[in-house]
Amino acid sequence: MISIESLTFQYEGSTEPAVKDITLNIEDGGFFGIIGPAGAGKTTLARALCGIVPHHYKGDFYGSVTVDSMDTVDSKMTDICRVVGMVFQDVESQIISSVVEDELLYGLENYGIPHEEIEERMDFALREVGIEDLRYRTIASLSGGQRQKVAIASVIALRPKVLLLDEPTGELDPGSSRQVFGLLKTLNEKYGITIVVIEQKIMLLSEFAKELAVMSGGSMFCHGPVREVLKRARELEEIGVNCPRVASLAQNLHKEGLLKTPVLINVDEAEAAVRRLIS
Amino acid sequence: MILLENVSFGYGDDSSTVRDISFHIERGEFAAILGANGAGKTTTAKLIDGLLKPTKGRVLINGLDTAKTRVSERARHVGYLFQNPDRQICKNTVREEIAFGLTAVWQNAGEDAIARRVDEVLESFGFSGDEEPFSLSRGERQRVALASVIAIRPEIMILDEPTTGLDYRECTHIMDTIKTMNEEQKTTVVMVCHDMEVVASYATRALVMAGGHLLGDGPVKTIFRDQELLKRASLLPPQIVELALRLGPGFENADTVEEMTEAVSARAKRKGAGV
Repeated sequence: MISIESLTFQYEGSTEPAVKDITLNIEDGGFFGIIGPAGAGKTTLARALCGIVPHHYKGDFYGSVTVDSMDTVDSKMTDICRVVGMVFQDVESQIISSVVEDELLYGLENYGIPHEEIEERMDFALREVGIEDLRYRTIASLSGGQRQKVAIASVIALRPKVLLLDEPTGELDPGSSRQVFGLLKTLNEKYGITIVVIEQKIMLLSEFAKELAVMSGGSMFCHGPVREVLKRARELEEIGVNCPRVASLAQNLHKEGLLKTPVLINVDEAEAAVRRLIS
Repeated sequence: MILLENVSFGYGDDSSTVRDISFHIERGEFAAILGANGAGKTTTAKLIDGLLKPTKGRVLINGLDTAKTRVSERARHVGYLFQNPDRQICKNTVREEIAFGLTAVWQNAGEDAIARRVDEVLESFGFSGDEEPFSLSRGERQRVALASVIAIRPEIMILDEPTTGLDYRECTHIMDTIKTMNEEQKTTVVMVCHDMEVVASYATRALVMAGGHLLGDGPVKTIFRDQELLKRASLLPPQIVELALRLGPGFENADTVEEMTEAVSARAKRKGAGV
């Protein structure tokens, strides 16, 4: 679905590249998490995936990004947008209408979706995101979590093949954060939408994503299935990436000679492993 | 030190956001206020600071009623770190930013004393002083804001989600700095925080809020094992505590990765020896 080949990008006026020599392949139907310390180049990578880099940010672009067989440099933003829907880090700057329904309509009408189809798409988006009851509410009256859901709904109403999100749970409490990831999982499993999500909360990524890419200092530190990446928990902590506590526990138990493979990704797995050890 | 007596607060519409809460925090405590979005955490933090005045009840800081105390008087005792550092930072260099609060609060100190204190803080945070806050990253700006609060040596520090938007390393750095203040200077810390792992690692007392009410108040360890309470407040315990709860008897004290490793390996070895 998305293929990145030796991508290097340096913003105009900057003294060094924001991302360096990134090669990554994101399969159709994948659920991909991107994590890394501040300044690792995560947001720049996301911008490159949806064409904002280099179309809206000037700079030196080397390598290539191919989205659904389109080279992003040669394609128009309007064509890339139809494939990749992006939810920005700062939801406030994304939402432009004052009422939820208008926010969804804005995108649909801009895309020239036929009138008879609009109603059905709005229903679909509001239902899947679970905010049917918010349809006529003003944006100002919504909580942070609700606004996040409105931003996601207005993007999925456009039926993108890829949903790209930059730290969608940054301002949300643990309950709302899980809800957002549960929603991404549904969209991924039920409709085959490819999910690419930048996130600092490693526990959520470990539980919901299928693959992880770890970035550091503009480069790709490592990537692969979640389980493989978490085997490197100690190295990740050294570059400033937190690991789920159960992953650290797995490392310790492995060192004690109790656990064969040094990785546990969630509490369910940890419980099963410990029960095997002690009973 | 901090005393809230039957405090309520409403922003003027029909619903009040804090409803009849009472608690007392002693000098040197490290308390965390927990709860879902909209539970009333930030409002409570602002009530303690005196940024908001209760519509009912009263808030006493060192015996002084916040409703009757001047801002300049309170600022001597209480430092407040906002959730968003950009609402706090107002100067063009890190040095000026740190000096700004100090000059306002240490009114009787001489210029030399203030300059010395600025240098001390710059050094301990590793800033040169010439950096421009708005060209720094979010994490660095958060550290600038924290440095300016720490500079005045407040007796009480109120932190509204000090780790939001920070990566793991920045988060650890900021929290370690606060912990040091708490331990060495007996600074009282009240922190609003969504990250239960951070709460488990640093705070000793937890105040649990939901719908403007105070649902629970106790040692962090006890609160995290009260599943019914956490559920009512839409909270989840840290991973290791949840694991310990599921494993049941024999894991009552396994709250950290190290304690859990020890508990598991002791029991696994005992089982091995028995076979």
